[in-house]
Amino acid sequence: MAKVKNWQINREMEYPYDENRPKKQWAIVFDLNKCIACQTCSLACKTTWTSGKGQEYMFWNNVETKPYGSYPLAWDVKVLERLGHQEWEKKKPYYGKTIFEAAESNERAAHFAPEDKDWMYPNHGEDDCAGQVNKGDYISLQHDRWFFYLPRTCAHCTYPACLAACPRKAIYKRQEDGIVLIDQSRCKGYGECVKACPYKKSMYNAHTRISEKCIGCYPFVEQGYQPRCVTNCIGKIRIMGFINPPWKARSNNPVDYLVHKTGLALPYYPQLGLEPNIYYIPPIHADREYLTQMFGPNVDSAIETYRKLKDDPIAQGLLVLMGSTDRIIHDFNVKSGIAYAFDEKGDEIVHVPIKEQIFIRPAFDEKLGSSRNNTP
Amino acid sequence: MKIKLLILILCTASMECWADINVVKIYGNLDKDFRSKSIWKGQNLDQSITLIGQPMIVPKPKKTETSVIRVSAVHDGKWIAFRLRWKDSEVSESEKLATFSDAAALQFPVKSNEETPPIMMGGKGDPVHIFHWKYQYQLDAKNGMKSIDQIYPNMTTDMYPMEFKEKGNFREATKEQKEAFVGGTAAGNPQSFPKTGVDEIFAEGFGSSAVSEYQLAQGFGEWKKGEWIVYIARPLIYENGSKLHIGRKSHIAFAIWQGGKKEIGAIKSLTMTWTPVNILEK
Repeated sequence: MAKVKNWQINREMEYPYDENRPKKQWAIVFDLNKCIACQTCSLACKTTWTSGKGQEYMFWNNVETKPYGSYPLAWDVKVLERLGHQEWEKKKPYYGKTIFEAAESNERAAHFAPEDKDWMYPNHGEDDCAGQVNKGDYISLQHDRWFFYLPRTCAHCTYPACLAACPRKAIYKRQEDGIVLIDQSRCKGYGECVKACPYKKSMYNAHTRISEKCIGCYPFVEQGYQPRCVTNCIGKIRIMGFINPPWKARSNNPVDYLVHKTGLALPYYPQLGLEPNIYYIPPIHADREYLTQMFGPNVDSAIETYRKLKDDPIAQGLLVLMGSTDRIIHDFNVKSGIAYAFDEKGDEIVHVPIKEQIFIRPAFDEKLGSSRNNTP
Repeated sequence: MKIKLLILILCTASMECWADINVVKIYGNLDKDFRSKSIWKGQNLDQSITLIGQPMIVPKPKKTETSVIRVSAVHDGKWIAFRLRWKDSEVSESEKLATFSDAAALQFPVKSNEETPPIMMGGKGDPVHIFHWKYQYQLDAKNGMKSIDQIYPNMTTDMYPMEFKEKGNFREATKEQKEAFVGGTAAGNPQSFPKTGVDEIFAEGFGSSAVSEYQLAQGFGEWKKGEWIVYIARPLIYENGSKLHIGRKSHIAFAIWQGGKKEIGAIKSLTMTWTPVNILEK
């Protein structure tokens, strides 16, 4: 076992392969304050990639409701249960066990094995509140009847459990963009990756008898476009870019800015030790203890920063750039109330005003001789 | 060092390690009749072989599920057939997600019959020739590969890419176009195609197994009252593989998977030493 550096838990940890960070690392940031679980992302992915034989049950991108939803059933509860109670003091590294460190001698990572039925209830728990809402209840903010939506793709982890678990080395992480792929010609369908991935994003195909997973939309990424699930998001809650580790972070890189510079976006279940590369702006009204278990001890500061967004024109600018282009934004800046997005070469992709201009038109149009309807 | 110590302990604990498998010559056509009762009628002296749960690499079984197999073998001058028997309380197949098939494998050296390669699936430059029988492969051969709606009858899907339910006024997509998004099939992965019953595989160390271009071996298994009886037949001589010469000695190793106990890949019971095999002239 090698010692590798995991910046999300702020310490070294054990992993079966040496540290080998890719030249660029694919990453997505989600604003959970905006997700409405319309499932457009799930279907964008499905119609693009998982409409084939054996893929009928697969949602490489899925959206589940927290706390009571999960796809597959109870995936996070089960892996946390397997890991056991762990402690993480604020402002300190995580000294609890990762799934690699908690592994027994017969396995690569502490895990549980899902059954086929576990995949058959993708909408289980959808829209279920954490607490009951009874007749006659009067609810005001802040309240404890909360739920939020959690959209999730494969995290293309820096230290993937799937890659570590494959006895045939049929899973690899690309040097050019950090995307993790299962080699469809070398996989023999053992399902070790399906068992090992704590996020359960590796899935067995009963038609081809081998396993598959989210491919990070690499054909689009190679051409400079963001993944399908990102560009089709109706609420424009997502942005995909290339994240740097904190010691190389650039303020004008959108993902670096949200994750490293402002601390607004946090990785999910970082304590598992995989250094996942999907990051979430936590939902500000949900239960803090629950959020801390999911996103780590920096939840409070992330929420505080989000509440002060009106004082941060740069962050506001970045948030309006989300969903404004299907191309990958390598650099951005905000000047005089306008946000500018640039590609790898430094050419402008798009610019977006932070405040939408208001145009007032008279109710009766003299030129056309007709009234204007207030139809949006 | 760990391997050598383990082998020493196992072998001193059980004299069966030094027992040879003697392959008698019979008159017949084993390539067609390897399962026939008349061929095996006189063969009642099975050799008992000890197996242990794979101990060397992760993932490992938590315990040894199959500790003993009984082996007999015959040859007809051209083909050799093995009969394996081991206890398994249930029959297991692997159509559905998270299910695994009962299986057995025979492993032979390629380079040298006397100086054996590392037992754990050979080593670099020192390949092994493996004959992998799986109950699921046998079902493929008998019933064809089942479609998803046969495996999960209550499933529903509106359509598959480029497969339209009604014929219309358009050009039908080619097979390649339809399979473009079916990963394993498009990549030509042997797992995604119907099997014959036995896979022939070459390997140079664990994790490196590759299905052979030529599939000549045959196999068939029957499960009766808590016991699998599996027959595997193969040509004695392969030009680019294992060569079993009549009148000479070779070596063999075994592996068994109990699908019902979630055994697959490296999670199996196997022999940690090579068993000598004598191909008798008579």
